[in-house]
Amino acid sequence: MVASLTSARAARTRKGEPWVYVTSGALALMLALLLGVILLLLVKGLGFFWPGELVQVATQDGRTILGQEWHAEDVPESAGADGAPRTRTQYRVGNRKEFGADFVWVDDDAVVSREIPRDALFVERLTDTPTIGTLKETRHDGALVAAGGAGQAYETYLRLVEEARDERLGARAPALEEASRTAVFALAGGQEVEIPLAAVVRTVRPNDIGLFDKTRVYAARLWEFLAAPPRESNTAGGILPALLGTVLMVLLMTLAVVPLGVVGALYLNEYARQGPLVRLVRLAVSNLAGVPSIVFGMFGLAFFIHVVGDGIDRVFFPGRAAATFGTGGLLWAALTLALLTVPVVIVSTEEALRATPRAQREGSLALGATRWQMLQSIVLPSALPGILTGMILAIARGAGEVAPLMLTGVMKLAPSPLIDGTPPFFHLERKFMHLGFHIYDVGFQSPNVEASKPMVYATALLLLVLVVVLNLSAILYRNRVRRRLQGALF
Amino acid sequence: MKRTHERTAVAAVLFLGALAQGARPQQAEAEKAELPKYEKVAGLELRGTLDSVGSDTMNNLMTYWAEGFASYYPEVKVQVEGKGSSTAPPALIEGTAHFGPMSRAMKASEIDEFEQALGYKPTCLRTCLDALAVFVNKDNPIESLSLEQVDAVFSKTRNRGFPEDVTTWGQLGLTGAWASQPISAFGRNSASGTYGFFKETALAKGDYKDTVKEQPGSSAVVQGVAESRGGIGYSGIGYRTSDVRAVPLSTAKGKEAFAADIENVLNEDYPLGRYLYIYVNRAPGKALDPMVREFLKFVYSREGQQVVEKAGYLPLPVDVCRAERELLD
Repeated sequence: MVASLTSARAARTRKGEPWVYVTSGALALMLALLLGVILLLLVKGLGFFWPGELVQVATQDGRTILGQEWHAEDVPESAGADGAPRTRTQYRVGNRKEFGADFVWVDDDAVVSREIPRDALFVERLTDTPTIGTLKETRHDGALVAAGGAGQAYETYLRLVEEARDERLGARAPALEEASRTAVFALAGGQEVEIPLAAVVRTVRPNDIGLFDKTRVYAARLWEFLAAPPRESNTAGGILPALLGTVLMVLLMTLAVVPLGVVGALYLNEYARQGPLVRLVRLAVSNLAGVPSIVFGMFGLAFFIHVVGDGIDRVFFPGRAAATFGTGGLLWAALTLALLTVPVVIVSTEEALRATPRAQREGSLALGATRWQMLQSIVLPSALPGILTGMILAIARGAGEVAPLMLTGVMKLAPSPLIDGTPPFFHLERKFMHLGFHIYDVGFQSPNVEASKPMVYATALLLLVLVVVLNLSAILYRNRVRRRLQGALF
Repeated sequence: MKRTHERTAVAAVLFLGALAQGARPQQAEAEKAELPKYEKVAGLELRGTLDSVGSDTMNNLMTYWAEGFASYYPEVKVQVEGKGSSTAPPALIEGTAHFGPMSRAMKASEIDEFEQALGYKPTCLRTCLDALAVFVNKDNPIESLSLEQVDAVFSKTRNRGFPEDVTTWGQLGLTGAWASQPISAFGRNSASGTYGFFKETALAKGDYKDTVKEQPGSSAVVQGVAESRGGIGYSGIGYRTSDVRAVPLSTAKGKEAFAADIENVLNEDYPLGRYLYIYVNRAPGKALDPMVREFLKFVYSREGQQVVEKAGYLPLPVDVCRAERELLD
């Protein structure tokens, strides 16, 4: 047995490929993990926007519950009549203000009846959690306009919602509860609630609409997620400010880090006399890549904000009560991240510079070019793909970094847009929102964490997509540059 | 809904007698009606940015207020940053924040620092009430806990005098499979005002055990308790979910235990009720910046106090609200 094993091993070694299985297995494992993460995000993040069925159940103790089936699990340490564990289901019932919580657990064996009422409504609102119930009355200026929620009455309701929305958008009418158009909804359990229609974002009858309409609702919700500002303390609505904040911050960082890194690498590789000192500098640069990001955050806070920012405030904005540059902002966050990612750019640029064929360098020098002319027209163009690789790596690292941002200007809510119509149009000193921080904030800080969890997954998915898109565009550009270079090589 | 309001008003009067000694009862009786609605000041065009730096317990509350305020003054942008109550005093001193929301009162040392830097004391405004709840997993059958027991679960010094260190649910009176279930305690990080308040009141200034898992946010505590069967943790009552249950608390063993709800906090029966504050920097004799003043007036309006309920906290009694509002002029 042992002998045959050793001989088999010997045979493999003789063939020269002893560990193919291990290497391919490692790769497969990695891909499986990656795929798992992406699948998890896709399922949990994208499923959230689908208008799910509303189920009405009655329990033994006389409660009626109307809501979306959210989650199911076994009751721990319990056995039903047949020995199998008992199960329970979590329902999303909405109406947090009325019910106190918008999720409830119900033991499945306590359910006496279960139905899917066709006229159940899921009403998303500007403020408060969704109302789940049935339409009872629609009122205008206190007078009853339509009773019930079927057919004509539902049409009337939808028309009034439309009117109220137009009025709100037109006049920016502030106090929502003063709106004249209202609707009364009957909630499960008999309670009634009156809602101003100006606050209604969307009304869905999930049990009554077909696949096509559901898809439309899905698309509308997805669009709202991407293109609307957040509502309800970031737990509903969209994430547009965070998305813009992330993109702008990464672009600004790239603008800062690429020139800095390339020029530094040029000096290190082309001008500096190679010796122990340069080797030491190189070592230091590589080590810089391993410094924990929060340390860069500290540096950004201490140097950029408290030294440079306060200095700018003293010179340019004296006498202003509130700090302008002397507090966290987009510019400081971008510069901090630029410092964080500069080693990546330096290392890959240096490699690209070294890869330029010696013959080309010497050829151009022999034709009478100065050193700078040689660098400018021979070395840098051929190193461009390598430089772009550095940029891609820097973007990948910078877009996902959150810790340093928390010290240099990221906010839970930053309502001032970074780009607007007032000069100087780009407001680099303003604080901003960031997808990464948004995930942390919504996941760990929001009071209604059950309802906002899917938002966390959706935001994480978006961050992933954003990094892929930024990288992909840089890669496509690099490929174009490469092709052009190949063309130039006769 | 309406009944709740009435009950709140009644409870508010009771609360008055118990708490605000300086107030004249008959006057409060007359004013107990309802808070006035917020009225936009005619002709006042506000424009600019307001910064809030401080408590993360009040993060959502500040955000709700910011959202509500923005519907009156769309040109005023309120930026909310919440990394813990301890971040509020430095931000006020440095002038990087207009508001310093805090889930505990400022410590004497923090007030001193403020005074040293600026020459006067910060202005303290009570904005609402909160009940700090002790949460357990939804499957946990425990009926109530006394503060001594809570202290023995979370603290290694046991200042409240519980005889032994508590590490399993059996020691708190549970039987069956629960008796041997270890307790897994979740708490907040030390920058949090909730951390400080719980230490001050529930632990009688004792020290936390090293095994208490410090979480970066209030809802992280709740999620920890939801995920772990033997979990216990403290957070504002506003953070409850269907996966956890708030345990009724008594001040001492053998006394009646009270649930963390509005009435019990107002009657001071529930032992872990607290105010949530906003601190502002106001030089003596000077008026507040109109933007700051209007925002705070909004906080003390009917709309502002309704938002409080939405965030899961308890609105101020009407007369306290009026008293605080008068500080603004």
